[in-house]
Amino acid sequence: MGYGRSDSYRVATTQDKDKKESPKKKGGKDLDDLKKEVPITEHKMSVEEVCRKYATDIVQGLTNAKAAEYLIRDGPNALTPPPTTPEWVKFCRQLFGGFSILLWIGALLCFLAYAIQAATEDEPAGDNLYLGIVLSAVVIITGCFSYFQEAKSSKIMESFKNMVPQQALVIREGEKMQINAEQVVAGDLVEVKGGDRIPADLRIVSSHGCKVDNSSLTGESEPQTRSPDGTHDNPLETRNIAFFSTNCVEGTARGIAVCTGDRTVMGRIATLTSGLETGKTPIAKEIEHFIQIITGVAVFLGVSFFILSIVLGYSWLEAVIFLIGIIVANVPEGLLATVTVCLTLTAKRMARKNCLVKNLEAVETLGSTSTICSDKTGTLTQNRMTVAHMWFDNTIHEADTTEDQSGSSFDKSSATWVSLARIAALCNRAVFKAAQDTLPILKRDVAGDASESALLKCIELSCGSVKAMREKNKKVAEIPFNSTNKYQLSIHETEEGNENSYLLVMKGAPERILDRSSHIMVQGKEQPMDEEMKEAFQNAYQELGGLGERVLGFCHVFLPEDKYPKGFAFDTDEVNFETDNLCFVGLMSMIDPPRAAVPDAVGKCRSAGIKVIMVTGDHPITAKAIAKGVGIISEGNETVEDIAARLNIPVSQVNPRDAKACVIHGTDLKDLSQDQMDDILRNHTEIVFARTSPQQKLIIVEGCQRLGAIVAVTGDGVNDSPALKKADIGVAMGISGSDVSKQAADMILLDDNFASIVTGVEEGRLIFDNLKKSIAYTLTSNIPEITPFLFFILVNIPLPLGTITILCIDLGTDMVPAISLAYEAAESDIMKRQPRNPLRDKLVNERLISIAYGQIGMIQALGGFFAYFVVLAENGFRPYDLVGIRLNWDDRSNNDLEDSYGQQWTYEQRKIVEFTCHTAFFVSIVVVQWADVIICKTRRNSVFQQGMRNKILIFGLFEETALAALLSYCPGMDVALRMYPLKPSWWFCAFPYSFLIFVYDEIRKLILRRNPGGWVERETYY
Amino acid sequence: MTTIAKLLLALFILELFQPCQTLRGGNNLAPSYTRDALLALRAAGSFPPPNLPEDIRSTAPRRCLRRRGRRGGVRQRLRRRGNRPPLPSMILSNVRSLRRKMEELRIIATACFEYRLILLFYFVFYAFLAGMFCLTMWVMLQTLDENIPTYQDRVPSPGLVIRPHAADISFNRSDPTNYNQYTQHLHNFLQNYNDSVQERNDLCLVGEYTDQDAEPVKKVCQFKRSLLRQCSGLSDSSFGYAEGKPCIIIKMNRVIGLKPQGDPFINCTAKRNSLLQIRYFPSEGRLDKMFFPYYGKNTHADYVQPLVAVQLLLSKEDLNVEQTVECRVEGSNLRNNDERDKALGRVTFRVLVSE
Repeated sequence: MGYGRSDSYRVATTQDKDKKESPKKKGGKDLDDLKKEVPITEHKMSVEEVCRKYATDIVQGLTNAKAAEYLIRDGPNALTPPPTTPEWVKFCRQLFGGFSILLWIGALLCFLAYAIQAATEDEPAGDNLYLGIVLSAVVIITGCFSYFQEAKSSKIMESFKNMVPQQALVIREGEKMQINAEQVVAGDLVEVKGGDRIPADLRIVSSHGCKVDNSSLTGESEPQTRSPDGTHDNPLETRNIAFFSTNCVEGTARGIAVCTGDRTVMGRIATLTSGLETGKTPIAKEIEHFIQIITGVAVFLGVSFFILSIVLGYSWLEAVIFLIGIIVANVPEGLLATVTVCLTLTAKRMARKNCLVKNLEAVETLGSTSTICSDKTGTLTQNRMTVAHMWFDNTIHEADTTEDQSGSSFDKSSATWVSLARIAALCNRAVFKAAQDTLPILKRDVAGDASESALLKCIELSCGSVKAMREKNKKVAEIPFNSTNKYQLSIHETEEGNENSYLLVMKGAPERILDRSSHIMVQGKEQPMDEEMKEAFQNAYQELGGLGERVLGFCHVFLPEDKYPKGFAFDTDEVNFETDNLCFVGLMSMIDPPRAAVPDAVGKCRSAGIKVIMVTGDHPITAKAIAKGVGIISEGNETVEDIAARLNIPVSQVNPRDAKACVIHGTDLKDLSQDQMDDILRNHTEIVFARTSPQQKLIIVEGCQRLGAIVAVTGDGVNDSPALKKADIGVAMGISGSDVSKQAADMILLDDNFASIVTGVEEGRLIFDNLKKSIAYTLTSNIPEITPFLFFILVNIPLPLGTITILCIDLGTDMVPAISLAYEAAESDIMKRQPRNPLRDKLVNERLISIAYGQIGMIQALGGFFAYFVVLAENGFRPYDLVGIRLNWDDRSNNDLEDSYGQQWTYEQRKIVEFTCHTAFFVSIVVVQWADVIICKTRRNSVFQQGMRNKILIFGLFEETALAALLSYCPGMDVALRMYPLKPSWWFCAFPYSFLIFVYDEIRKLILRRNPGGWVERETYY
Repeated sequence: MTTIAKLLLALFILELFQPCQTLRGGNNLAPSYTRDALLALRAAGSFPPPNLPEDIRSTAPRRCLRRRGRRGGVRQRLRRRGNRPPLPSMILSNVRSLRRKMEELRIIATACFEYRLILLFYFVFYAFLAGMFCLTMWVMLQTLDENIPTYQDRVPSPGLVIRPHAADISFNRSDPTNYNQYTQHLHNFLQNYNDSVQERNDLCLVGEYTDQDAEPVKKVCQFKRSLLRQCSGLSDSSFGYAEGKPCIIIKMNRVIGLKPQGDPFINCTAKRNSLLQIRYFPSEGRLDKMFFPYYGKNTHADYVQPLVAVQLLLSKEDLNVEQTVECRVEGSNLRNNDERDKALGRVTFRVLVSE
């Protein structure tokens, strides 16, 4: 299963790391050009013409001089690695991207404010300077953190590669020589044999049973025959072109290299992939929107207070400093770190569930995905042919196709089955590779054709050792399969004690086999073939063919002893034995079966409102069969063709709107206009695209995106990589996926299991919800942080909360609870709801701001102010004496400020009280944030329904309290952070407010649940 | 402050009771009709003109110019049509217009209602919060003692300050306008110490605390201004500034219940000038214990704290040279050497007298 594919394309990607990061600017025209189909024409030319074109010889090959000349002209036969982004650019992108900008602006404003103060005052307060430094430090530290996070996952990416230089056998000047594949030039006469990788795009000139595996290019799982004759106008379909980086499975072939390096089909795809621009991730868009809101609020508050302070008679300079202060106070310093950590945690959790996320922001993308375009081969299917059905004794038997052989089995007692198994085992050239006896049969490697190995495995599973059977019935003669006969025949010695000494077994295209049969075996007895039997055969054949399966017919005959005595010399060239009047035994049909977990996963996606589209390079019938098998076309849904067949009317008379499902052929797709394409994507819920080229896959993805969908693409082949790159999130397969696809993808399924996508969707949706909660929690404490400053300006009271304490909250106590919300369990079944609408369901909306700022934040601010007034009052400054005291309070030379009791205070004494107030305000915020984190746990449910099972959150509650106590009571804090020990009673000041927050929000959520869609939900459900 | 609050309230009320239509336009509220419905309408009468293109969707909506209300409407138009029978289209179009109008109104009303509901909600919510805040503040104020603050640990020791209130005292002794501000300040400050005022207060025992914890009304010990002698400003109203020998009055901060141990007195030293003569009033700069303890503004309303005046007897050479003087309270347990708080039990000032 695809072992050959995992290392395909290695030449191409010798040193590139991360294509996503490469901002390769390509002219739009250039890209569109690449999107067009392959321009190879050599398949239509004769061999001589090709030779002439490349000045080569069919026998001698190129001359060494010519080859050297071509090599200089065309460059080495390797794909240009996409330009890698220098590490410092990546680092800068982390440092200045998205959220960081907000903090940088904040830091700059801080330094500006400090500069103004330094220029105008003798002893400028260091607050703004510290704040600026801390803000820059926060950005730099989080930037480094996410940079290393990203670097770590790209390291995992590199571990996927192990470089083996590729060799190629070329004929130059009549001599066979083994050269490095990079040295191959156009015109070289190249020889390939089974197991080799094709070193360039080859025009086949001669072949002996050559078959290639094109699955990495087209997605077809069946090996394709290669022969010198052109069979199709489309270069991808014709038999006489073998493509660079595909594998030769068996046989040998000789061909002239027509394209090398980037000009090969594969190279074009790679260039197309690296030339694609990818849009912003949905979460990046959300964060941008969030920044807009926050900036809006900050600027509004800042400007209005600027005007107000001018009106109140402050000087211009003071007003400017206030303006900057307010804007900076509105920046949630800790949020960047919180978001990064939350995303990292989810990425780790997903990695444990076999989803490796390459780009942190892509963690959420899968959650908002509304369309999944899945490749068939290897993603939905197991990528190995397996016997699915058998027809004998005039009945269709179902074989077990599951990966772990857990499925049902059929009746093996029939004598016909014994004969059928014997034919399948004997008339079969596939053998298990050596030294695999310990492996389960299905996991063993087989040398040989895909369908023969399917038969081999099937027989080995049901009848025991094929090897033993072959030893008992030694092969004496054989006619291999060829396209004219369409059958394969072999003659074996029979077992001892049999009246006839030779058994002729034959398999091949069913109609050919039937033509040669005169009898049919039913229940072990030979019966003459009558019309009834023929009709039964036709029905069975059609039915199996309609399932998209590849059907083979089997027949045998015991050669009569009298005509063919022991030792008879069978001549396969002259055919000195009869190949007619055989006895038809049965049919066996094979398919690449779907993975066991896929139907369930597709069902889950569907219930999660995600449209699953199959995009494959395989044949429509096979694609449709698999689609039906995995539920992409659900039971009872018909395509236009199905309806036509059922009603017995021409396809053109069927209203396309009646059919929910549709299967679209690549050649049809080529002729569709953009509108028609949109129409199809919009009006059909279940779509299968078959025979699609890589370019068309890209067009499909673009079509979906045009309709506003957030598209995930899964795929493993090179042919998927442009689509993977273009998609909002590309999901590559870790085991079978090619390197190119892994590089183009944002996420890698380490177990190749489509079902892991469902996990990804779930985690993505959960983190989106939880980020909302985290942000709501973090933003709330902004109000109690900013109102002190506003009141300081407005009513001239001593400053209730200082810069340092604000930083202690944002970067200290708030951090762990905010992060712990990322661990919160989902409130309802998130896989039962529709994907979020990126236009409507925002991460941060006005309702969240209204709750956080307008409601909970206000209660918190009051709690803080209450503690502030309590501390001052209990120290002798009653509230009504405070208003207007600011000028005297902050006057350094005033050392006898009188309090409400007539006591006189020195500057330093009252400043200690002020800092004690800051500490009390800080502790109060911690206390009200207890309640806030508990209410932020849920958006709709009550805490009593949700429970307190989030251990990290409980830890967070204790941690923030302990940190607050430490900051207040630790000796030395008065000097270091100017925080002073509090009287125990001051801790309880904010308790009523904390309680109010809890009760208020529980009531709000109760009304919200009781009255779905009501006013409360419309205005407060974030 | 109150004016701003009133203004905001007025704005809020205005907003709440403004007519609704101005709040939000109904631009995107126009109800849409399906093509079928329009065709049905057309089939019912001669609306719209028969030569209209087949696809109604493509016709641009024309602004309706006819007047509505009393001057327009069905009846007016019927009258204008004279005796011709009314066409169904006319009625239908009026029905349509009415329905459209109703729909518009309904949507505006809903939007407006929602908007006001939010305003009202926030009004009530904040009113409630304000109420709750006031309640908690009231409860807190109830727990406070009238006469003594709950905690005094932040003022364990008093600070020293000087009068005139300035860190740098610099003046030209020959120009009275130059030092008038200082002498005026001192005169004002000493008003409370006028002998006429102090006569009303009691005489207390020298060197003893005036403990009167039990009394509801505390008596006040006398501190006459005349005690400051040359620095009282009585005999020399320029407080020595005219001679270039300025008086500076040192005052210790009031702290409720403070009883300094030992015998506190003020001692001043001039930095870098050990020869500078300093004279203290009362003698030796003593702060008598009888002025302690202080019982707070409420019960000890007329309390005056003891003062010490220091006169810097600057010699001729000291003129035009800045003198830095540090005064400390000594001889007691009062702190005068706190590293952080330079005003605690000590005070530093600079004097520059020019000629």
